[in-house]
Amino acid sequence: MAEQKKILIVDDEPDMVEWLTTFFHDHGYQTCFSYDGFDGFEKTLSEKPDLITLDITMDRESGIKMYRKLHDSEQTNAIPVIIITGVSPELKGFIERRKQVDPPAAFFEKPVDKDKLISRVKELIG
Amino acid sequence: MENIYQAYFESLPCFVTVQDRDFRIISANRMFRDNFGDHEGRFCYQIYKQRPEKCEICPVERTFRDGGEYHSDEQVRTLDGRDVCVIVNTTPIRNEKGDIIAVMEMSTDITDIKLLHQQLRESQERYRILFEEVPCYISIQDKDLRIVDANRLHREAFGTSYGGKCYEVYKHRKKECEPCTVRQTFADGKVRTHEEVVTSRDNEQMNVLVNTAPIRNGDGEIEKVIEMSTDITQIRQLQDKLTSVGLLISSISHGIKGLLNGLDGGIYLVNTGLKKNDRDRIDRGWEIALRNVDRIRTMVMDILYYAKDREPDWQTISPADLLRDVCTIIEDKAKKLNIQCGCNIDDDVGEFEADPQAARALLTNLVENAADACRIDKKKSEHRISASLRGTTEKIIFEITDNGAGMDRETREKAFSLFFSSKGAGGTGLGLFISNKIAQAHGGHITVESTEGEGSRFIVEMPRRRPAQVKEE
Repeated sequence: MAEQKKILIVDDEPDMVEWLTTFFHDHGYQTCFSYDGFDGFEKTLSEKPDLITLDITMDRESGIKMYRKLHDSEQTNAIPVIIITGVSPELKGFIERRKQVDPPAAFFEKPVDKDKLISRVKELIG
Repeated sequence: MENIYQAYFESLPCFVTVQDRDFRIISANRMFRDNFGDHEGRFCYQIYKQRPEKCEICPVERTFRDGGEYHSDEQVRTLDGRDVCVIVNTTPIRNEKGDIIAVMEMSTDITDIKLLHQQLRESQERYRILFEEVPCYISIQDKDLRIVDANRLHREAFGTSYGGKCYEVYKHRKKECEPCTVRQTFADGKVRTHEEVVTSRDNEQMNVLVNTAPIRNGDGEIEKVIEMSTDITQIRQLQDKLTSVGLLISSISHGIKGLLNGLDGGIYLVNTGLKKNDRDRIDRGWEIALRNVDRIRTMVMDILYYAKDREPDWQTISPADLLRDVCTIIEDKAKKLNIQCGCNIDDDVGEFEADPQAARALLTNLVENAADACRIDKKKSEHRISASLRGTTEKIIFEITDNGAGMDRETREKAFSLFFSSKGAGGTGLGLFISNKIAQAHGGHITVESTEGEGSRFIVEMPRRRPAQVKEE
């Protein structure tokens, strides 16, 4: 029996965290969470999640900074990251154009389409 | 010999007569005869002016009197009824003894010249009216930047006194502007356009679009520069408003997406909770749904408030009652979020002049912000909001304190600006901006003290009496 995969949810909105936690649990995943990008990176190191959902519209660019840190660290750069955001698709292009970082595994705009989200997660980590 | 002079006399290209003391025409040249007919025995005033008697001021008479040469401007009528303007010159004709025996009167037709003069005057008049009345500010400066002429609008707006330096008059500066487009135009004769902010004599600032152009004299040298300014303050204000509206729309979209997301989340929890018969999940989901609906409501109300520029509905109200009302509203919400509420109201604080609806909105916004700050603060387990009210002779002071997430310096400094929200998806960026606007409309202000991780205090000061300048409006 396959081990339960773990997803780290990083979002400053508690309602969002609560919903994603319940949602992922319902689909058989374990979860942990963090309310900001700085703490989120630490959690990544300590919890070793199989996938991270990351909100990049958090305060003080903490989401974007975390994204870069994940990419720069050998311990974390293999973990697939799904970016969830409330801003326009232009930001997707902006991030992809930042040459220092690879584009994320997936990109979802709020309000998130649940079905697409869960199917992408399944594709990435099973 | 005489024949030559006779020939000259005859062929002079003006009207020439020689008159005796009675103003009878003794002799006249061809041009005269051609235009005025026979002169034999007739008086000059009869022929020229169709008058029965001599003119009151007669240059011929004066010449007879003192032998001097005189001239005058006259209008005469020819035989065929044409009115001709002439310059009349008179010269005495003397005998060997030196007595004046006749006066020669020479009249030059200046009708065309007079017409040109009149047209020129009319043309100048038209330009003057244009200059004076055109709806922009025009001034003309000399090489020393002194204003040598200004139109009516300019004089009214800047109180121009001629001879003043332009930079003193409407920039209230002691030195030339750098760069000075007037000087540049003097140097190269090029027309220039640029935007400026100037101050009227009522100390109002105006955005203007300034054009400078050279004025050349007959030799082609630039002796003056004309400066023409159009008031574009309203356009800039509209532009600012449009930019704000643009920002508002994108901020709303952003905010709504977040709220819809929250609603989705709540609904998901309720639906799956119903399927699984998980009461706890249903409750949690419903709470999330309600909270987000609430936020949508607040957002819509904020937007509506922002969209309308409201005059305060001035009433005399009790700040104690106001604060108590607001506290009651927030107590419910606070209990759910496990936040303690404290109200410290000095009932002897008296009354003040305010718009009750606006003041309530202001306080509610601050208290809700405090609740949100506590909710997102995960570092402490016990949260508390306290509201207090006190008064001085001059003003009323509300304080809303929380021990929530607090703000760092950057957040604090940006807190009141439009569309800045630290709430990520949850905030519109309007709440504090509007609260501040309300406070200012009452003649008061809001200050904030905050420490990141520890909490914040918002202090609202409002005068007891509405401000005088607002009263005048």
